[in-house]
Order: sequence, then structure tokens, then C-alpha cells
Amino acid sequence: MEISSLSLRARAVVEGFMSGLHRSPRTGFSTEFTEYRQYSPGDDVRFLDWKVMARTDREFIKKFEDETNLRCTFMVDFSKSMEFGGDDAGVKKSDYGRTFAASLAWFLTQQRDAVGLATFDRDVREFIPPRYRQDQLKTILGRLETQPAGNATDLCQALEKLASLVGKRGMIVLVSDFLSPLDEMESCLSLFTAAGHDVRAVQVLHPREVDFSFEDAAIFEDMESGQNLILDPGMARESYQQKYNAHNAALDAIFSAQGIPGFRVTTTEPLERVLQRFLEERPARAVVRQRRSPGRSAA
Amino acid sequence: MSFLTPLYLLGALGLAIPIILHLLHDRPKNKQAFGSLMFLERTTPPVDRKRRPTDLLLLLLRCLALLLLVFVFARPFINVEDPADASRRDRQWITVLLDRSASMQRGDLWAQAKDKVQTVLEQLGPNDRFSLIAYDDSTELLAEIKLWLGNSSGAKVNARLEGFAKPGFGGSNLGQALRFAGESTQETEPGPDEQPFARREIIVISDLQKGSHLGDVQDYEWPTGIRVKLEQIGEDDQGNAGIEQVASRVPWATAGTAPSFRISNSANGLGDELEFLAHTTAGETLSEKVHVPPGRSRVVELPGEWVGKSVERLSIRGDAVEFDNQFHFAQNRRQTVRIVYIGEDKPNDAEGSLFYLASAFQQSSTLDFHVEAISGKSTGPLPEADLFVIGDAVDDPLAQALGQAIEGGATALMVVQSPSQAANLGQWLGADGVVIRDIVSSDYALLQSLKLKHEVLKVFGDARFSDFTNLHFWKHRELQNLPDEGIDVLARFDSGPPAWVVARRGAGRLLVMASGWTPADSQLALSTKFIPLLYSILKPVLEDKTQSRQFVVGSEIDVTRFNNGQAGGGVTVIPPGDAAAAISVDTIFRPTATGLYTAKGSDWSETFGVNLTPDESRTEPIVMDQFKKLGLPMSAPAAAPTAIEAAKKTETHRREYWRWALAAVLLFVTLETVLAAKGSRTAEPVMT
Repeated sequence: MEISSLSLRARAVVEGFMSGLHRSPRTGFSTEFTEYRQYSPGDDVRFLDWKVMARTDREFIKKFEDETNLRCTFMVDFSKSMEFGGDDAGVKKSDYGRTFAASLAWFLTQQRDAVGLATFDRDVREFIPPRYRQDQLKTILGRLETQPAGNATDLCQALEKLASLVGKRGMIVLVSDFLSPLDEMESCLSLFTAAGHDVRAVQVLHPREVDFSFEDAAIFEDMESGQNLILDPGMARESYQQKYNAHNAALDAIFSAQGIPGFRVTTTEPLERVLQRFLEERPARAVVRQRRSPGRSAA
Repeated sequence: MSFLTPLYLLGALGLAIPIILHLLHDRPKNKQAFGSLMFLERTTPPVDRKRRPTDLLLLLLRCLALLLLVFVFARPFINVEDPADASRRDRQWITVLLDRSASMQRGDLWAQAKDKVQTVLEQLGPNDRFSLIAYDDSTELLAEIKLWLGNSSGAKVNARLEGFAKPGFGGSNLGQALRFAGESTQETEPGPDEQPFARREIIVISDLQKGSHLGDVQDYEWPTGIRVKLEQIGEDDQGNAGIEQVASRVPWATAGTAPSFRISNSANGLGDELEFLAHTTAGETLSEKVHVPPGRSRVVELPGEWVGKSVERLSIRGDAVEFDNQFHFAQNRRQTVRIVYIGEDKPNDAEGSLFYLASAFQQSSTLDFHVEAISGKSTGPLPEADLFVIGDAVDDPLAQALGQAIEGGATALMVVQSPSQAANLGQWLGADGVVIRDIVSSDYALLQSLKLKHEVLKVFGDARFSDFTNLHFWKHRELQNLPDEGIDVLARFDSGPPAWVVARRGAGRLLVMASGWTPADSQLALSTKFIPLLYSILKPVLEDKTQSRQFVVGSEIDVTRFNNGQAGGGVTVIPPGDAAAAISVDTIFRPTATGLYTAKGSDWSETFGVNLTPDESRTEPIVMDQFKKLGLPMSAPAAAPTAIEAAKKTETHRREYWRWALAAVLLFVTLETVLAAKGSRTAEPVMT
């Protein structure tokens, strides 16, 4: 994170990534991707791929590509807890998350996809609907560059609002640390998945949050609530990690139940690699559902 | 071990401060912001075990230093009897002021007071000086022992003390007594071979009642080095009620009022209902209930039916203390004032002078005015009178008698109404050629140049009454060729001639008015000045006749007052009681006991009452602040001489103790500083 300008940083990331992309024969992520689905009774026979059937003696339904560009909305957590970091153990989570979003937006814009942005903490702070325009990327980068000054995260409340704001189906990239109670998380996420959005979650964590590698006893202050706790890290580490692992396991379970690919990254991980990992992920189940045959949807 | 100021031991509670600070020391000081505390639980921060022993030692030192500091402030001491000190006794001069006022008659106060004197005597050592002064209204030095020689000296003092079986009836002039004692203790300097006094103390043994007079100390600069100790005896827990006569302001001007008495009840009085009793000479007792709430006083008039019954004593009943409940009452006899008008006026003639003169003097409870008229042409003897008013020319035998009466001390008022009175005026003034001339004027005359400071006109001296401009004189006369000497012109007419003149002739006075008070002459008879003027002329006579017959114990009574200032060959005073011996008095008599006294001359006899001073009834104690305000250096009330000696002995030990403790504090603080400095060098850097 030596480069202070977010646009420069995104560009550097994407260019590094693109250079690698040419060498790679695999393109995991493409709007041009075609798919066959096994025929099941009730499917419109007009979409059967007869040639394949003739060759393999199996019935496949031919899926048509969506001709429109991808509509991707980045939802970036601007709450106070994302400000943690910035020390020798790793960059700030917010910097990392914003750079990630900016890089991906840059990349998608280059592919002429429509990109939008929503920032939130307890509530939706900003919402830019996905568009493909000359200055859209500039606007998004500008907004991402503003310093997050939010308070506590209430992921669910923000997501509920966003669900009503995001109109057409598209890809939703959720960038947050997901360090908040998970009681209603599933139902909130289901608002998007049920609406057919392709939701992808990127959980940004600081290495210290992962291993709680503090040494000295100190007064620990919650960045969101301001609550103080006097702690000896050595004694608290074990219970912390237990609870942390349980939380992440619960989160993973929610993601998999909703068919959401989740990416857990720490701020020390190189962004290019994360981007690559992100793009290589197979389309989510929701997207499969979204690309139903036109005939069926017409029916 | 005891402590002089044990309250300071409470300071040991301050030990909590270093202990709390010590505990606080383990709290981490650095702050660590963290994304979310949702996975964290409170844990007990570990104690830095390496530093713990040092900390504990520091804590111990700090606590010890604090404890010792508290110890120093509490001033510990131990009583140690040192026989060597007893012989090294300092010489002291003790003066005892013993109250023998009437209020000491209460209960066993006198016995208590004597006991206190004995206690003081016991504390005297060899070579001490001792004075015993008794006081009431006056101050008397009862005994003076310059070198105390133990029992023999004590016997001397006791012999004098036994002479007073009982306190007297006097008031309490404590101020005068203190001043007397202060002066006598100050003035006497020890001789060259005498050991100087280490301590001079005046011990007041008294009930210190509120009625004591302290005024004499107020302007007295108290000598240095003399301390005053108050030994209060008796407690006024039941209150007291007292009785005194209310003196009327102008006794001869009160018409028809009975004598009145003030009954006061002290604030802590037993109840509010008292009995007011009258004892007659016939042995009859009359009583009446009087309601006086505690802390108040009430003026009670002698009931009408009692007045005629020759009451000799009044008393109150119903309070706790008896000594001041009697009031010996010598009733004023009604005196006759004789006024003789010499002239031809008819008593009912509203145009004449006599009519107004007779109307001006009204009867009162104490005075009976008797106005008599005789003709100026009368050849009979001149009747005795307190005031002669001459309204017409007087023929010779009478005029001569009048002149002699005036010379002999009579007061005459001559109203000049015609030129024919010139001869009389000249005769009485002892001047030839006095002429009276009628002034003829169409305008009225006014008075001017009034001598308001003259005793006759003094009554008009106040600015409210000094306006004479409403007094118009229609007719007046001019007195010519008046002698220059012996004449005082009190007022002049605005045209210049004298209007009112007073001439001293021998022992008497002759007042001359150049215009009368008849309606034809002036408005004087109808003005508000008339009656005050006549009373003012009569004032010396009236004052003589209405003199009070009530006195207080200790007052100086001029017995000749009962006989118009004439001793007349010696006066004998017969004190109350059947067995009392008569006392022969020249002029001044000073009663020492209460009761009804009789003063007897060769041809007269008067009874007068002597009572306690009303202040003695105020038995509640003086507020002690009052003594401090007067600047008296007070000794601690409980510090008897032996106690002072004991305190002196222990003082040296006590001092040693606190010094040692202070040294230990300093040692501990130094150690603590060294340890703390060492600890801070080896301490780990503070986390950030």
C-alpha cells in the first residue's frame, strides 16, 4: 500500500493481474461462458441440444448467453472496525478492502461492464447504481477514496436497505470484515440471493484479528463502541481463537447455505493473488439459477 | 500512653491512599484499539512478579511514615511523677473575688462558694501570695496574706471568711471588683529579695448572674500577665421571677394612677402563672394571679381596692428562688400644693385671671392642688402657700408680708395689669422709681428673645414646642426703671420692653409678667403654653413633694430630703425589725438590708422602702463570650494549679516522643525515596 492514490493502486493491481492473465489458459470468469444443463422433465424440448444428444446420447438443455453486460455492485463496509490495522503487522482493513474493490471495478470497467458502489456502516451511506459510463469509474474511485468515518456495523440493516435499492439482477461483491453478530445474517443475505443476485463475499481481516498476536497487557478499546477491556493477551488468546473460529465457521455455513462464495483474506495477502482467486471461482449457484433458459422463463 | 489531641488519630484513615495507589499501579496504562471485542472476555491482568517485593517494601514504608505522622500530630505523652519538680515550685499570686451579692442567697450557693475558696487555699504553696476580696456593689479587701505559711495563714483567711455568715443584699458590680483586683495585683511589685511571681491569677467565685455589672472593665486596659479564671457556682436551671416598681416619668403629672410594678420572669422560668401578693400593716394579705410567660415581663398596676389599704409589702410567689420575691413598699402620701391668688377676681369670672389659674391645676394621685383667693386689700395675715399669684395692687401689710415671704423662699408670680402695681413691684424688687406704663397700640404684640435655656422656659426648649408666634398679646405694659442686677428677662415683646421677668429675692423668686392671661390681655390662657408654664414655675415645689420613697440597697440616701433639705437638729433612721437600734445620721444614709425604714427628725417622720436592685433578679448566667469581648485573659476553667504543674512535667517527655516520631518519619521518607528511585531505574519501560 505504498501508493497513496487509490486509482493508481487499482491500476497497478489490475495491470499486474492482466499480465498474468495472458499466460493463463483458464478464464474462470466470463460473461461469455456457455453452459449445458441436464434435461429434466418439464424443460422445454425446443432448447435441447440435438447435436450433443446425437453424439453422446444424453439430453442437454442449451443455455443462451445473456447478451447484456455484467452489472456489478460493490458493497464496501465503511464502519470503524475496518480502520483497524495500519501497523507493521498489516495494512488497514479498510485500505485493503477499498483497493480490492477499486481494482475489481477498474478491471470490470475495462471489460465494459456496468459497475456500481454502495458504502455502508450501520446504514447505507452512499449508493451509486451500476452503469457503464465514461466517468463512472472515476466517480466510484472518488467515493472509495473518502475516508470511512462510520460507526458500528449493522450489516443486516444496511443489507436490507440495499436490497431495495439494487434493482436489476447482477453481481454483488460484499467487502466487509463480517465481525458482527450473525443472528440475522442468513435472512439478510437471502434477500439478495432470492432476488437472483450473484453475491460474493470478501471477508477482510487483519492478521492480528486472526491470531490475536498481541503481547503486552493493555486496555483494549472497541473501535466501534468505545468499550474498554483490560486484558492480558496471552491469557485471552485461546478463548479468542476459539470464539473467532466458531464465528467464521458459522459464517461459512451461512455462505454455503446461500450459495455465496466467500473469500477470507488477510491484509498481508497480495491483492493480485486474491483477485485471481476471486475471478477463478466458479459462478455461484444463484447465477446458475439466473441463467435459466429463455423459453422457461417465458413460460 | 495518652494523646493530647487524639482526634488526629483519625488521620490514620489516610493509609488507604497509598494502598489504593499501590493497587492502581498494576493496571496497564497503554491503550490498544481493536476492531471488535466480541470475541474477548475480561481477564485478570498479571502482576509483575519481579517488582512486587520492592513495591511492597515501598508501600510498607509509606504506610509507616503516614502512621508516624498521625502519631506526631496526636501528641502522645506519658504521665511521669517527678518528685524533684515539686520542690522547684514557682511562686504564684492568687486573688479570689468572692461574690456576696444578694443573688448568692439562693440555695446553697454561699456554702459552695466558701468550699471553692477552701479549694483554692489548699492549692497554695509556701511563699505564695493570696488576697481575698469580697464584692457586691462595693469591693472590700477581706484578707491579704503576703507570704503563705500553710495552715496558720489559712486560719486567718477562714476567720475573716466566717465573719460573713451570709451574703448581703447588694447588687453585683463585678466590673468594679475585677478592676480593683487588677489594679492591686498590678501595682504591687515584689521586693528585691523576693522571688518574682511566676503566675498571677484572679479567681472569680460567683454565680456570674446576668445582672452583674461589667461596665467598669470596658474602658480598663487589663494589665499584662494577670489571668482571670471564672469559677461559676450554681446553675440557673429553674429560672427566677422578680418585682420592681415602675417609676413614672413625671410623677406629678400623672393623674389618678396607682403605682405600678414590673414583674419579670426569666426565660427558663418554672411556669407562667405567678401570684402577686400585698401585705398590709394590719396583717391582711391580698393576692392576685398574674400571667407572665417565661422570658417576658409585665407591668401590673396596684389594684384600686388595694391602694387605700396601707400596703407595706408586696411579694410574688410561684418561682423557684425566694430571695428577691419581696418588695417593701412605702406609699407616697398625697401632698397638698397651696396656691394663693391675691386679687379682686371672682372665681367664676371667665374674664379674670383666677378662673384660668384654678382650672390649670388638676388633682392627681399624688398631688392635691388647693387654690385660694384673697383680696389685695385684706388686712389679715398672709396664708402659707407654695405659689403666690398677684393679679392686682396689694395694700401694705399684705405687701410687706409677701415681700418677706419671697425673701424667705416663696415663689410669687406677679401679673401686671395696671400701672397701680408699680409701687408693689418696686417694693418687692427693692428698687425705687419703678414705673408701669400702658402701651397703647392698634396692633398686637408677640414675644421675642425667649431665654429657652432658663429653667422656667426649659420646658419649651425642644424645637417642637418653642414656637410662640401664635401667642398674641392685645394689651401689654412697659416696666420702666427696673434694677440692673438680680433681674433676668425671660422674654421681650417684639417692640422691645421686657415681657416676662424673673428676679431672685433672697431664697425666693419673683416672676413678673407685663401682660396677663385674661382674654382682654392675651391669648396665653387659651394657648398650649399656659399650663406647662405654670407647672414649670412650680416645678421645684412639685419635685420636692413627689420625691420617691423607694431606694435600693447600697444607694446613698440624703435623709434631709424628707424635710425639705433641712437636717433640723439630726435625723434618726430606724431600720426595719422590732429589735433594730436606731441609727443617727447626719445627711447620708446607706442601707445594707432591705425593708421599710423610718427617718425621724425633731418634728417629722417619714417612711421609706429599701429593696434589692432589680438586676439581682436576673439570675441566668452571663454568656462567657462577654468576658472575652472585654479582653480579659481567661484561664482554662478546669486547669487547677496542680494540673498545670502536672502538664508542665509531662511536657518534656511528650516533646521527646514527637521528636523521635518525626525523626522516624524523616528516615522512612528518605528510605522510601531511595527505594523508589532504585525501582524506577530498574523498571521496565512503559508500554505504548
